[in-house]
Amino acid sequence: MVPEPQTRISNRALVVWRISGVITSLFSWIIGGGLVTLGVLFDWPVWIITALIILIVIFSYLITFFFPKLRWKRWRYEVREQEIELQRGVFIMKRTLIPMVRVQHVDTQQGPLLRKYQLSTVMISTAATVHEIPALEMDEAEELRRSISRLARVADEDV
Amino acid sequence: MSDPKRLHPIAAMINMLRQLKELIVPILFFTVFGSRGNEIVFYYIAVGGGLVLVLLTGVLSWYRFTYRVEEGELRIEHGLFVRKKRYIPFERIQSLDITEGILQRAFGLVKMKVETAGGSKTENAEAVLTAIKKEEARQIHDFLVSVKNSKRRDEFEEEVIPISESIIYRLSLGDLLLLASTSGGVGVVISAFVAFFFQFEEIIPHEKVYKEVEHFIANGVIFVSIVVFLGFLLAWVISVIGMMVKYANFTLKKVDQDLIITRGLLEKRQMTIPLKRIQAIRISENVLRQPLGRGAVYIESAGGSALNEEGSKVLVLPLIKKQDIAKTLEPFLEDYPFRPKFNKLPPRALSRYLVRGVVIVVPVAITVSYFFRPWGYISLLFILPSLIWSALKYKDAGWAIEKDFLVLRYRTFVKNTVLMRKEKVQSLTARKSFYQKKKRLATIEAVVKSGHSGSGGRVKDLEDRDVNNMYQWFSRDAHHKK
Repeated sequence: MVPEPQTRISNRALVVWRISGVITSLFSWIIGGGLVTLGVLFDWPVWIITALIILIVIFSYLITFFFPKLRWKRWRYEVREQEIELQRGVFIMKRTLIPMVRVQHVDTQQGPLLRKYQLSTVMISTAATVHEIPALEMDEAEELRRSISRLARVADEDV
Repeated sequence: MSDPKRLHPIAAMINMLRQLKELIVPILFFTVFGSRGNEIVFYYIAVGGGLVLVLLTGVLSWYRFTYRVEEGELRIEHGLFVRKKRYIPFERIQSLDITEGILQRAFGLVKMKVETAGGSKTENAEAVLTAIKKEEARQIHDFLVSVKNSKRRDEFEEEVIPISESIIYRLSLGDLLLLASTSGGVGVVISAFVAFFFQFEEIIPHEKVYKEVEHFIANGVIFVSIVVFLGFLLAWVISVIGMMVKYANFTLKKVDQDLIITRGLLEKRQMTIPLKRIQAIRISENVLRQPLGRGAVYIESAGGSALNEEGSKVLVLPLIKKQDIAKTLEPFLEDYPFRPKFNKLPPRALSRYLVRGVVIVVPVAITVSYFFRPWGYISLLFILPSLIWSALKYKDAGWAIEKDFLVLRYRTFVKNTVLMRKEKVQSLTARKSFYQKKKRLATIEAVVKSGHSGSGGRVKDLEDRDVNNMYQWFSRDAHHKK
C-alpha cells in the first residue's frame, strides 16, 4: 500500500470546529426548546419530551466534542512531487490521489471564524473535481498554494 | 475568401421563427385575457406591433451579421445597437459541427457551429453560422484542415500527411429498428404526455371527469386494460419513430485524427470528436439489450460546453453485438483494452449488496402493509425484485488493470464498463466504511473529465487488497518512496 499521508492539519482547526458545533447546537436548543414548550402546553406524553431532550443533548455532544476530535484525528494530507494525497472521513475513511499534472488551479478561502484563528481552507481544482483541505495555518496554506502551483506548472496543457 | 459575407436570407427567417416561438406564450395570454370589448383594438395593435418589431429586428440583425475568413481567423461581426466582433483563430477551433435542419435542407444550406478548446461557459458554441451554402461550409472546413496540416508540417518538417479516411461503423436498418424499439425513449414520451395533461389540470372539470371515469370503468376491466395498452403502444410507436428519425443513416468515420459521426433523416447532424480529447470509453448495456447480447458505446470527451452536454458524452456505436466491439474499435483506438481480464468481487461482498438493496424497500413495504391493509401487502412484492437486482449488481461488478488503463464495471440501472487511461483520470478515491473494514472490503472511485463536469466509475465492496493495488498503480510517487 502507498504509505499513509503524514501532514496533519492545524490543531486550531479543532477549536474552530468546536465553536461552529456550539453554534449549530444552539440552534438545535432553540428548536428543541420550542418543541418542548409546545409539548408541555398541549400535554404530550412525557416520554416524547424526555426523548427529545436526550436526543438534543446527544446531538450537541457529538457535534461539539466527538466529531470534531475524530475528524481532526483522521485528517491527513501530503503534497509530493507528482501528486497530492488526502485522507479523511469520520464514518467512512476516504483516501484520494490527485496527480499534479491534473491540477488546474489552487484557491485559498477564509470565513470570519477561520480568519479570527488565522486559518484558511485550500481548494484544489482539477478539470472535473474540487478537493478541499480545511483549516490550515495561514502561512502554511499560502506555502502549500505556492508549492502546488509551482509543481503543477510543469503539467501538460492538454486535459 | 476575405470579403465579408452575409448568411443566406433564410437565416433571418429562422431567427424570426425562433423569436416568434418565444412570443407565443405572451400572445396567447393576451388572446385569452386581453380581448374584450373596445380593448380588442389595442390588442391587435400590440400583437401587430410585436410582429413588426420581430420582423424588423430579424431582418436588421441578419443584415448586420457578416463573417469572413481573414489572416487565418474566422471573423464575425454582428449586433444591432452594439456592434460586436468576434475573431476566432483557426488554430484554436476544435470542431466544426454541421447540421441541416428542415428549413436549411429545403434550400441546400447547412448550419455550422464552431467550437473552440475551452468552449465558453455561457454560450453553447463560440460561433454559429445559421445558414450558409454547403459549398462555403466545405471551404471553411477545408481551410481549417489545411491550417491544421500546415501546423503539423511545421512540427515535423515533412510533407503534408495525406488525410486518411475510413469508415468504422454503419448502422444497418435491422439494427436501427432494434435500437429504436429497445431504447428508453418510451418513458420519455409517456412522461411528456403526463406532463402535458397536468398542464391542463386546472381546466379539467374534475367532477364530470370522475363521473365519466366511473362509467368508463363500469364498462369492464378488459376494456380499460385495452385502452391503457393502446396508450402505451402509441407512446412506444412514437418513441420508435422518433429514434429512427434521429439515428437513421448513422455512420462513424475516422478522418485523420478525428472521429466523425453523421446521423439523422430530417435533420442531418455531423459531430467531430478529436481523438486527443477522448477521456474515457463507456460501454452501456441496458436491460432490454443485454439479453440480445447488444450494447452501446459512448465516448466521454472533454469537448462540449456547459449548456451543450451532447458534446461531452457522445454515442459512437448506438447498438452493437458485444463481441464485435473490440473488433470494430481496436483498429482505430489502438491501445484501449477492449478485452480486459476482469476480476470479480469476493463472495463475502454479496451480503452487503443484498442488504443495501433492501434497506429502504423493506421498512417502506412493512410500514405500507401495516397501515394500508389489505392492499398494502402488494408492496411486499417489491422485495424480491430488489433482491434480484442487487444480486445482479454484485454479479456484474468488476475491475481490471491493463497496462495504462483502469477498467471499472458496475451496474446502476444499466450495466456500465468504463475504460480510463491513467493520464486522463482526474482523481482516484478509495473508501472504507467501518463495516467494510471488518470484512476487508473497500470501494474505489475514479473521476474523468466529461464536458465541463466529471464522470467516471465507482465500484463498491471490492477486495481490500485489489483496491490497494489500484491505488498503488495510480500513485506516481509510491515507487520512489519505497
